[in-house]
Amino acid sequence: MVNLKNCTILGVSILALSLLIPVYTNSVNAQVTINGAGATFPFPLIDTWRVEYKNVNPDVNINYASIGSGGGIKQFIEKTVDFGATDAPLSASEFEKAGNAVHIPETIGSVVLAYNLPEVTTPLKLTGPVIADIFMGKITKWDDTKIKEINPGVTLPSEDIISVHRSDGSGTSFVFTDYLSKVSPEWHDSIGVGKSVQWPSGIGAPGNEGVAASIQGSPYSIGYVELAYALTTQMTYASIQNKEGNFIAPSFNSTMDAVSSAAGTLPEGSQSWTNVTLTDSSGPNSYPISSLTYLLLYKDLSTNPSVDEQKARSLVDFVEWAITDGQQFSESLGYVPLPQSVVDINEQTLKSLTFKGTPILSNSTS
Amino acid sequence: MSKHDSNKRKNYKSIIQDTISKNASRRKTKNNLITVLLFCFVVIAIIPLGSILIEIIKNGVGALSFEFLFEAPGSIGSGGGGIGPAIQGTLLVVAFATLIGAPVGVLAGVYLSEYSDSSRTFAYVLRLFNDVLTGIPSIVIGITGYITLVLTLGSFSILAGAFVLSIIMIPIIARVSEETLKLVPNNLREAAYGLGLPKWKVIYHVVIKGSKSGILTGIVLAISRITGETAPLIMTILGTSLFFSGFNSPVDALPLRIWRLASQPYPSAHEQGWGAALLLILIVLSLSIILRMFAQQRRITFKSTT
Repeated sequence: MVNLKNCTILGVSILALSLLIPVYTNSVNAQVTINGAGATFPFPLIDTWRVEYKNVNPDVNINYASIGSGGGIKQFIEKTVDFGATDAPLSASEFEKAGNAVHIPETIGSVVLAYNLPEVTTPLKLTGPVIADIFMGKITKWDDTKIKEINPGVTLPSEDIISVHRSDGSGTSFVFTDYLSKVSPEWHDSIGVGKSVQWPSGIGAPGNEGVAASIQGSPYSIGYVELAYALTTQMTYASIQNKEGNFIAPSFNSTMDAVSSAAGTLPEGSQSWTNVTLTDSSGPNSYPISSLTYLLLYKDLSTNPSVDEQKARSLVDFVEWAITDGQQFSESLGYVPLPQSVVDINEQTLKSLTFKGTPILSNSTS
Repeated sequence: MSKHDSNKRKNYKSIIQDTISKNASRRKTKNNLITVLLFCFVVIAIIPLGSILIEIIKNGVGALSFEFLFEAPGSIGSGGGGIGPAIQGTLLVVAFATLIGAPVGVLAGVYLSEYSDSSRTFAYVLRLFNDVLTGIPSIVIGITGYITLVLTLGSFSILAGAFVLSIIMIPIIARVSEETLKLVPNNLREAAYGLGLPKWKVIYHVVIKGSKSGILTGIVLAISRITGETAPLIMTILGTSLFFSGFNSPVDALPLRIWRLASQPYPSAHEQGWGAALLLILIVLSLSIILRMFAQQRRITFKSTT
């Protein structure tokens, strides 16, 4: 068949051509490729590690696909990837299904309330209950007395508030609703916590990008985005009252404080992290809406049949580098570096990892 | 009497002429109106296509460079590196998918057109299922590939990606092939039989060769359709920043790369995303132009001898 022959010739030539492309990169057979998948939030950071780790260990290729936290957990449990990544810790049932998973917090995120008030130049202050009321549709005007009370001296416009939330399932929504549930009993009872919840009011937009675009495009709107996003897009954002009553602007330091003050309550890496949340944490300078994001590994890395001993060692070495030296790339990308207390917990976790029963780290370091 | 008659006739004539000219002018204006209206609709239909193309070219041209085409991506947000693995991955996955999908699709079309007379119900059921397959959302086909190939083989791979894309291709190719094969005039078949050719030779040398450009159009259609698929690829090839390294590891593809670049907060990532979108369109366009040239070059024309 001539047409099939044509297609075959064309197909084969395309194959041959495209297989030639890797000639540009020096491919050595001794290289190890580590596959991971999961949360979109830490993707830029992990992607930077992929490139930077090449300088540390040229033989290790890191391959991370951002498919979302839920997907990361699923692929990790199905063992189609070597490590997973997620914004929310494994739930009790997921933890049980995975068998012997460990959580390794690799970076910190915080959620920022960004707003668009053309007339207002002084940074706005908000409290948890007020934010909950805005997103429940109970406070509808910017010059509501509840907002005026905490912002004395600021002339607020008498305009309707447009609240913007995520329309897709998202770890950001999870952290945000988790915070609102803690500070507002009414939110806790009527709406609750989740990656996607029934929003009683406001408009939905997909992704951080969508929310940011909606806020920038519509005056008198307010919404929540990740700190990294707010910083790179130069949005205006509010200071939020923390547990101690101080109004704290989101920043690297205030987020780190929130994590440090909660570090004492964190479990060991191999225990269940289901109930770990950093929102509304104590400490005078803690920003109240922050959360950890995790890498998922098996306690015994041979649990995943596609991981051999060399790969297991490379993977653990990489993670150890990521939580220590790798943290230097955080700030320029808008991520909050891990405080020492969390790094210590991670080091303990990594030391406990084994391959077919034998510890991995002590072998490679000694 | 006769004078009166002729007057009457004249009257009628003028009345008829009046009506005709009135009608004609009304029809002319109607005709013009509808023409203008239809033209407007055509313009409205073209506006999205034109604006998409203009927007993509405007935003994407700046990103194109040698490095962008052939190198692995730099860290996201840095603006360095390129989308080499994505281009390579797209070409490979589409080529493999076509190698699987085109023969199956064309042969299915041959069966439906040439062999289905003996069992009409079976052919009817086949056609029905074929049409249903066209309508299945690609993400569902992706999940099927994930369950049947990714989970059983234990890793995301180019094979799983090619498999799901070929499933999307097959019904399109089968349908178009069947329709074009049916267009081959029956007396050509009869003439071939008359020369003593067996059925398979008639099909191979007369029917298929006669409708080659139609079949190729079907294949081109299917390729253009699958090149832009994202959802089934997330489930099967996962995406990566590395070049192709083997049949049991993830590969990248342009639609996946575009989606990932677009969801980042960094302007440099967006620029690369536009560049990748431009490339995707160029690849689809050039593939279909090349295939069409193939078809045109070797077209067989039926000359009448009488």
